[in-house]
Amino acid sequence: MIEFQCSELSIEERQLQADVREFLAAELPRGSFMPGLGMNAAKDPVFSAKLGERGWLGMALPTEYGGHERSAVDRFIVTEELLRWGAPVGHHWVADRQSGPVIAKFATEAQKRRFLPGICRGELSFCIGMSEPASGSDLASVTTRAIHDGDSWVLDGRKIWTTGADRNDWIVVLCRTSLLDEVTDKRQGLSQLIVDLRSPGVTASPIPFIDGTADFCEVTFDGVVVPGELVLGEIGSGWTQNMSELAYERGGADRWLSTYLVAEELLRNHEHGEISDDLADLLGEAVANYWLLHQLSLSVARSIDRGGAPAVESALAKEMGTRFEQDVLNAVLAFVDQAPNTATDSLFERLLITATLTAPSFTIRGGTNEILRSVAAKGLRPSSGRR
Amino acid sequence: MSDTAEPDTLVVETVERLLADVCTPASVERAESVGWSAAVWDALANAGFPWVSVPVDAGGSGGTLTDAAAILRCVGRHAAPVPVAETGVLAGWLLAGAGIALPAGPATVVPDASAITLVDGRLTGRATVAWGRRAERIVALVANGSDWIVASCRPEQLSITLGQSLAGEPRDRVWFDVPLVATEHAPALPGTDGDALHHRGAFTRVVMTAGALSAIAQMTIDYTNERQQFGRPVATFQAVQQHLVTVAQCAVRVEMAADLATRAIARGAVGIEIAAARLIADAAIVAGTRAAHQAHGAMGVTREYPLHQLSRRLWAWRHEYGSATTWRRRLGRDVHAGGADALFPLITGWVAHDSVRP
Ligand SMILES: Cc1cc2nc3c(=O)[nH]c(=O)nc-3n(C[C@H](O)[C@H](O)[C@H](O)COP(=O)(O)OP(=O)(O)OC[C@H]3O[C@@H](n4cnc5c(N)ncnc54)[C@H](O)[C@@H]3O)c2cc1C
Repeated sequence: MIEFQCSELSIEERQLQADVREFLAAELPRGSFMPGLGMNAAKDPVFSAKLGERGWLGMALPTEYGGHERSAVDRFIVTEELLRWGAPVGHHWVADRQSGPVIAKFATEAQKRRFLPGICRGELSFCIGMSEPASGSDLASVTTRAIHDGDSWVLDGRKIWTTGADRNDWIVVLCRTSLLDEVTDKRQGLSQLIVDLRSPGVTASPIPFIDGTADFCEVTFDGVVVPGELVLGEIGSGWTQNMSELAYERGGADRWLSTYLVAEELLRNHEHGEISDDLADLLGEAVANYWLLHQLSLSVARSIDRGGAPAVESALAKEMGTRFEQDVLNAVLAFVDQAPNTATDSLFERLLITATLTAPSFTIRGGTNEILRSVAAKGLRPSSGRR
Repeated sequence: MSDTAEPDTLVVETVERLLADVCTPASVERAESVGWSAAVWDALANAGFPWVSVPVDAGGSGGTLTDAAAILRCVGRHAAPVPVAETGVLAGWLLAGAGIALPAGPATVVPDASAITLVDGRLTGRATVAWGRRAERIVALVANGSDWIVASCRPEQLSITLGQSLAGEPRDRVWFDVPLVATEHAPALPGTDGDALHHRGAFTRVVMTAGALSAIAQMTIDYTNERQQFGRPVATFQAVQQHLVTVAQCAVRVEMAADLATRAIARGAVGIEIAAARLIADAAIVAGTRAAHQAHGAMGVTREYPLHQLSRRLWAWRHEYGSATTWRRRLGRDVHAGGADALFPLITGWVAHDSVRP
């Protein structure tokens, strides 16, 4: 059955939280930078390197590869603070959240030595190469193909919606290494390759995003030669490895903090003077939900620390969290009398514009809410007895 | 972790087993028509469960508030038609704090401390009191200037008109017009004021809601896996699965909220937890009962199937100890008073007693 357990932060965990708060207040004082919205925040390798120096990247990875063997909860605390501050996490985000952990789990010794130290220092950036033009929710239907050729694999195909592919260093590509008619189930015969985005034959073309930015790309692989030593894990185990990656991707604070700063700025703008009933209602409802979602994410992290595999819990939490990100934004929008305008100095207004335009993506990226509900539904099993 | 207070599993298992035995849907239905269930009350009272969290030397059963919360969850889960919350966690708490003897049987409480006033030595006012007709003592917390007094009244000192909640549970109108000296009374324990009672009452409702909603979630999963249409269990339809996920989420949310509220109350330092939990519970009741009923079809709206025993209780409890609007507005005003920089620390539960550099 589904299990969420309530817990509190220990004194040491509180101290870590206080340290991150102190660091951010000194490093990125409010007003000194344009905060980003959650994981969409800016890419800033210098900032990522500073986090690396502090030991706040690759926190749960083994020390022998540059990690810190801290808990999933410690990592949760750090990322939660970074996100709510709007810190520029873009450069290291995917590497720290997901590529690092899968490499630590499935990669060869040589691959770990090659990639993990750079990830922990905040140097290496990674992309997620899952979706394809014809394979979104039905991910196992991917057709990007790698053919064995001597010591190498030759990769052909197309990935799409690949965040950061035009600027990042590496991409983990989910591809087919056995033909579909050689397997009984389309989830078989899939593998993951770690591909250098600067390899000959790789082209990343930015796709204009709804807010006018261009963060995600279409990536084509045209006869790209991938050395055999860059196969991640087992040939043919790509699906299982990929699914474990999604569990890392789903349960965190990034799934409910995307519009947090909009709410915080609304409050800041109304800090002085009387508060209307409407605003009190908005703040009360928002805080109750943030308080709860924080606890649900904390519970997922604790479960990972106990060795659990909270896939269903992560799916449930992400589904609730992303809907809430939209709900809180809509509540704030309903409060705004003046149409947001780009010719503004107001941080609130600028955040509001980006949030409004990008909000529909919250419930799509990382697996749509419909798919998450299907995942969760599988965990809802009938009891045999009566109530 | 700074606080891992877990309930006594033996207590929880025993209560669960007792209620599974005696608190059947049929007995809940019968209790509704006669206003009482001696079988359920006796089963719990014989083992002292209604008085858990009230110290032994004050006439209670001892144990922690965490234990009491776990018992109240069982009460919610089984729709137990008895005043467990009222007898121990509410009235028992007030009486024990004031050093007044607890009655041997059920006790209840005036939920709103502003309902009864003390003027010229007389307690007057009107209140809606849970199980007023069955209580051996009706306990009121009354303001006396800036102090608070606990007054324990025998039912025959008051005038009682019978009423029922949406769930068919006794919620009686009680008129006070009694000299204070005719009641057993004493100053309340310092810190026990109207607001503390309001929080504690809301806490009992959140915890019972957690129990009832988790029971509803399981009941809905079970029913939809048994019920067949178009040649297959309705639970295999994606549209129905969406309802199941909604109910499960509602249950998960209110259970987490109840756990957090319990910790806050048990440690005696309540911040936003009760208000926040109350809001989470309210939304969960609305969305959860809607999805559960929808997934049950017509079966869910008959008195012959037990869903209504739970859903009607939830609809009743959401109005007790303050509406969601009142709690929401109050929480919002507190948030506003703290300011934007304090917002995230508030959300992540910054507790003043933690010895961490701010
Ligand atoms: C901002 C953003 C960044 C992204 N970044 C990356 C990235 O870096 N790397 C990457 O690989 N991908 C990325 N994605 C892609 C993302 O993973 C996919 O968009 C997602 O998996 C859904 O696929 P789709 O968009 O093709 O939608 P579709 O699968 O075409 O779905 C369309 C609609 O049908 C519904 N649907 C589909 N199948 C079912 C079903 N079985 N049951 C019920 N409903 C169903 C969906 O829920 C949705 O509502 C990104 C997406 C966004 C929006």
